[in-house]
Amino acid sequence: MEERQSKTPLKKILDFVGGLITGNPIYKSIFRVGYPNTLLKRMAVMRSSFYMHIFPTKVGEHGLKLRYSWCMGGITFFLFLLLSLTGILLMFYYVPEEHRAFSDMKDLRFMVPFGIILRNMHRWSAHAMVLCVMLHMMRVFYTGSYKMPRQLNWVVGVLLLLLTLMLSFTGYLLPWDQLGFWAVTVGTNMASATPLMGYEGPFHELLGVQIDNDIRFAIIGGTRIGANALVRAYVWHCVGLPLIATLLMVFHFWRIRKDGFSGPL
Amino acid sequence: MEEQVRSDKSGYMLMNKPGYPRVSSWPNLIWIIFLMMLFITIILWGVSFLAYAPLEEMAEWAKTPNPAKAPWYFIGLQELLVYFDPWIAGVMLPQQILIGLMLIPYVDVTPTEQGNYDFRKRRFAVGFFTVGISFWFLLIVVGQLLRGPSWQLYWPFIDYDIGSGTWVREGVHLKEGGAALKSLPLGTGLALIIGFATIGMVLPLIVTKLFPNSKKVKELDYYLKELGYIKYFVVQSHVMMMVGTFVKIILRLGFNVKYIIETPWFKI
Repeated sequence: MEERQSKTPLKKILDFVGGLITGNPIYKSIFRVGYPNTLLKRMAVMRSSFYMHIFPTKVGEHGLKLRYSWCMGGITFFLFLLLSLTGILLMFYYVPEEHRAFSDMKDLRFMVPFGIILRNMHRWSAHAMVLCVMLHMMRVFYTGSYKMPRQLNWVVGVLLLLLTLMLSFTGYLLPWDQLGFWAVTVGTNMASATPLMGYEGPFHELLGVQIDNDIRFAIIGGTRIGANALVRAYVWHCVGLPLIATLLMVFHFWRIRKDGFSGPL
Repeated sequence: MEEQVRSDKSGYMLMNKPGYPRVSSWPNLIWIIFLMMLFITIILWGVSFLAYAPLEEMAEWAKTPNPAKAPWYFIGLQELLVYFDPWIAGVMLPQQILIGLMLIPYVDVTPTEQGNYDFRKRRFAVGFFTVGISFWFLLIVVGQLLRGPSWQLYWPFIDYDIGSGTWVREGVHLKEGGAALKSLPLGTGLALIIGFATIGMVLPLIVTKLFPNSKKVKELDYYLKELGYIKYFVVQSHVMMMVGTFVKIILRLGFNVKYIIETPWFKI
């Protein structure tokens, strides 16, 4: 009682406004637990939130140390989200057409407000993501976190590494400039050397494989990088690969929740 | 240790046992994630204002740049093209790297050694992985920073005559630099490869028989027994693939060997 009487007018106003915000039924229908100031409420917050429930309610202290986890998996996932966001915005301004793609890049540079920032963020996030996936893999290896019971999750992780490289590689062609064009030419030419299935690979004669029916032809939709390759790169980059990667990530995270953060036995 | 391994194969972890120090995720985990998201966003936002994404001239089929480089994460494989035909450098090696990575948990013999950076009981695994990763990044550095026109080596500290674009290094003309590569005779090459494969496969076994009393060798012997024949074959073939890549690079750089085996169908 004494406490209530000693309130200053400012405190009273704040309490009143706060009560209006947090006391109304709309707020309560969204934030169900209230201010998480007890252990029970803190756990309830994690369980009752859609976004939070991919995290455990409690974690072992060892897993929180940055010198242990390097935070690399989380950063990689955050970069994926950032890339999805900037990527969707870039799709508004970009058409994957042989004669238009490059001028769309110029428009992003000179016409679209903050277009170049958008593109720069997408580009540097992509490079950062490739690096972070590699560092994440190194961290998981050096701490032995791929071992029982996480063997399958390591395999999924390697697949996600491959998908990240492919996502980055398909995106490389989209600006339709000399840099991307020739990098992708060099990269896809490797496919033509596949044994049996590439027209320059060993034993390709056995299957009757030529330049217009080999595995490289299937990848780029022609005998050289052209309009078909651009559309294929675009569709894989914006739809196909992100879908597969999302599916595998869902599995990856679900598996981590089941097995817990890695730590000493 | 053996007993411990057996009893812990259920994967029951210390952190799941009662009494292990655990804290609520809110706010202990969430604030790290929140700060990381802020930090990464601010860094990338800042970088995006300072450094512009590269954009060259419009793509043109008729204008091949010299050199045409792959993106940096694939440039290690492109660098290997100097030493191998594309079906090895661009297809077989990356394929085996991926398969090898995926097999790591299944050839592991120290399941209890996890959750820390203590490498004492997994020296071989950590060593092999570290050498492989370093090799990967070394190739990337060489390919990205040291390779210039015609994929020749250019040292950053030498001032090359870019105008002519034909100097490999100071005073050595491009044509001289790439000269005199020859393949080994087929018999020699076959003998070399079969010998390499045989010796590589049995060498660790021979060592354990020759020096049974050395402490290091006892460790190796224990490791081999834990592995068994099938896992040993899987691990050792990947070790030899990496060593073989080194050997081919040395043969090429030091002895001007183009191919070890040259047949009309395939060349190694």
